[in-house]
Amino acid sequence: MTTQLPLCDVAVIGAGPAGLTAACELAESGRDVVVLDEQGAPGGQIYKGVEKVFADRPQDIRPLGREYAEGKTLTRRFRQSGARYQPGVSVWQITSDQEPDLALGLIENGSARMLHPKHVILATGAMERPTPFEGWTLPGVMTVGAAQTLLKSSRLLPEDDVVLAGTGPLLYLYVMQLKKFGIRPQAILDTGPPLSLRTSLLGLRALITCPQAMFQGMRWLWGAGVKTNMTRGVDSLKAQGGDHLSSVSYEARGRRHELSTSLLLVHDGVIPNTWLSMSAGIKHHFNETQNCWVPEIQGAGLTSRDCISIVGDAAGIGGAEVAMLQGERVAREVDAYLEDHQHPQTSIESGVLRRQRWMRSFIDEAFPSTAQFQSPENDIVVCRCEEVTAGEIRQVTERGCMGPNQGKAFTRCGMGPCMGRKCGLTVSRLMAQVRGVSVQEVGHYRIRSPIRPITVGQLADMESILKGDNQSVLSANSS
Amino acid sequence: MFRLRTNLTDPVTFSFEGRRLTASRGDTLAAALLASGVFIFRNSPVSSAPRAPFCMIGNCYECFVQVEAMGVVQACLTEVTEGMQITKVSNQIDELGMDIKEVSKE
Amino acid sequence: MTKKYFDVAVIGGGLLGSSFAYGFGQAGLSVALIDEGDNAIRTARGNFGLVWVQGKGEGMREYARWSRKSADDWGNFSAQLSELTDHDLGYHQSGGFNISLDEAELQQYLRMLEGLKADAGEEGYEYELVQGRTLAKYLPGIGEDVAGATYCPHDGHVNPLYLLRALQEGFRKHGGCYLPLSSIDQIQPLKSSGFELSSEGRQVASCERLVIAAGHGSVGLGQQVGIRIPIYPEQGQIIVTERSTEQLAYPTNMIRQTDEGTFMLGASARDVGFNSETTTDTLQDIVRRCASAFPHLRSLRIQRNWAALRIMTPDGFPVYSQSEEFPGAFAFSCHSGVTLAAVHAQDVCRWVVDGKIPTDYRCFGPERFDVSTAN
Repeated sequence: MTTQLPLCDVAVIGAGPAGLTAACELAESGRDVVVLDEQGAPGGQIYKGVEKVFADRPQDIRPLGREYAEGKTLTRRFRQSGARYQPGVSVWQITSDQEPDLALGLIENGSARMLHPKHVILATGAMERPTPFEGWTLPGVMTVGAAQTLLKSSRLLPEDDVVLAGTGPLLYLYVMQLKKFGIRPQAILDTGPPLSLRTSLLGLRALITCPQAMFQGMRWLWGAGVKTNMTRGVDSLKAQGGDHLSSVSYEARGRRHELSTSLLLVHDGVIPNTWLSMSAGIKHHFNETQNCWVPEIQGAGLTSRDCISIVGDAAGIGGAEVAMLQGERVAREVDAYLEDHQHPQTSIESGVLRRQRWMRSFIDEAFPSTAQFQSPENDIVVCRCEEVTAGEIRQVTERGCMGPNQGKAFTRCGMGPCMGRKCGLTVSRLMAQVRGVSVQEVGHYRIRSPIRPITVGQLADMESILKGDNQSVLSANSS
Repeated sequence: MFRLRTNLTDPVTFSFEGRRLTASRGDTLAAALLASGVFIFRNSPVSSAPRAPFCMIGNCYECFVQVEAMGVVQACLTEVTEGMQITKVSNQIDELGMDIKEVSKE
Repeated sequence: MTKKYFDVAVIGGGLLGSSFAYGFGQAGLSVALIDEGDNAIRTARGNFGLVWVQGKGEGMREYARWSRKSADDWGNFSAQLSELTDHDLGYHQSGGFNISLDEAELQQYLRMLEGLKADAGEEGYEYELVQGRTLAKYLPGIGEDVAGATYCPHDGHVNPLYLLRALQEGFRKHGGCYLPLSSIDQIQPLKSSGFELSSEGRQVASCERLVIAAGHGSVGLGQQVGIRIPIYPEQGQIIVTERSTEQLAYPTNMIRQTDEGTFMLGASARDVGFNSETTTDTLQDIVRRCASAFPHLRSLRIQRNWAALRIMTPDGFPVYSQSEEFPGAFAFSCHSGVTLAAVHAQDVCRWVVDGKIPTDYRCFGPERFDVSTAN
């Protein structure tokens, strides 16, 4: 069987605002671009289902908000850009720099294959920060982002008994959207602290530079507070129930309260989705302000591996507008790099981009991550997959385990199917607390492929055509 | 948890644990099941505790289900199709190695 | 805590070093175990977890005997360690199968086992060829095209990560002093006897006797006390699957099941034989062999794969050395840290306490390589 080596100039992984913008720019300037997307339609998480909403449920456009509707402009441009779109594809590996070629391992329609791009742009977006607390593994407890995804893609609306807990802009945006759909949550339990002087000053700067965004944010907060049972300063959140969530309890102003509910939505801000970039061996560091790991970026989006760029929230949380602006810059940078393989002079960030960053520093300050989730008590499960508790992590650390990799080996924490996505940040934080050092010093799990599920059979059957590999593998495979 | 949707446009029929259910075409399996009032998707292979979708974007792996002819999939990343037969993932870990016989003595 | 004088200091907190540290603690000595940080090259993480006898020792009868002795001692060693630490190691001496996919592979392997049996003489060398329907009885799901397998009753398996954890925990319980984040770069022999160990100019510990078990770091450390350690790194890859309800009651050379229900897939059980770099083709090589041996495991999801740098010696056998120039300094290197853990924690610790490697075990010294070049 003869096969053509599947090639392209640039493979973009992720079809949110950053990935789509970069893909459009490059395709429009004549590059052969392939966009790989785990979802079934372009838009990423923020514009999820936008084409379908416009086509099938136009009445939902208004309640979902103006920002959401803007996604349609982007997906329309993308559809006409000439970039090749491959939905429903997951990337399980990026070959290491030890391998002869840069190649992506893909799973598509249940089988594995390789793609050989000249350059890769990671636009893997953000994910919600882990929120370990008592009962968070119970059915009926989900993230706010999950509920919002269900709203956008399938118009699933929660029942009126829904309780929301945590902090962050997404929580309030979702409450606002629910309100427009006529749903008033039973309670909003805000775990954030009261506004400090510093936060207010940063807010003032943001208000002057990005008035629109600030007014909008205030509308969300105000809208959420009005006629809703909103409580501030919430602590000691617990989810209770047998096979399914039946009630939520919490402390506020020194008193414990309990609410009956079948759905609790939690949120504690978003962090870059770095699993693919970490598995590719790209250097990362810990950003204390944003409380997350971020890749080290040179120029607009270049990384410690020349052939891989990162753009959008995957490079550091900035939101959709920053993602699109960065998408353009990274596309230009990659285009120039493909031309002569020299690191190009990076264009200076535009004023818009700078103002957006001021806005972000206000958001970081106004919505710090929740203390309860950052330092869970000993009996709280932190690793949902292997059911390892915070206490076990503290114990192995006290006994000399210096970091998450040895901790993983000793406790199985992070060894389950999610590969540490839901515990990595927590484990590094806990170990840093015990050792009295920074999270940076403790480090992160070493992430290795496959970062998406692939079966033994799929890998065995995959046609591997690496240029550097001209000898047949030692194999008794009869197929 | 979620409100049941009325008058589905372009419905598809599927089943979960033998129960016949309907969903909108284009729904993910996770959305289709949640909209049908399915709350428990699987049991943890460690403690058998019940689990259900948590993140809906493919990162928590709580929504694993078994689909006839497809194997185990993440329900939040898989689209529901007509006639799909879905079951919970079996993860009863039986006692291992208890029936070991010394080969040489056979 | 750091400037203490210890009866013995062990450099290297991997499987090998931790076995020694545990053994010394059990013998009642004051011990320091000096380790690096979280990113140390940890060969235990790349270990397949076999306590293995079959097929080992071709070309060196003493190694076959030594492996067998350790495998025989493993039951007691494991029971004692589990009791002390309350950690289950996942150890089973069930016997194990070496699967040969095709006839040529099988015949070659059988010839090797015959040779080992002849070497063993009266001591005997137990193994049995199992094929066809009989094989399927013991290894349900085995592929119909598999040529055959040999069974050896002395083989077994263990969770190498839990073993490492228990050894360090046992060492702690014996009052040992664990000194992490210390990459020793200088060994200063003291005037009368003993050694002073420092890391980047910081004195970490002093000791009467010194054991170097620092994996690839041993080479440079050995030089400082006049010990030559002829080892080189070899990369090996291992694949782990999800927890599964399928069952495999026996460990084999290419696949074994852990107590948690996950399957570990590796290219070889003989601790050597990983033949390639950590690349996609190596991964495929491993899964293709396993999928041929057990077609029903094709649907298992791969949980993760990883590579580790293993210790290789020119002939594949351990290198045990002692310093002639500075008595009291020893260096031990080998790639079978799991199989040999029992004898390392017991016999080898005794040698160090006695101050010298017994004559019977000098065959493991690095001098053997000099002889072969002289010839």
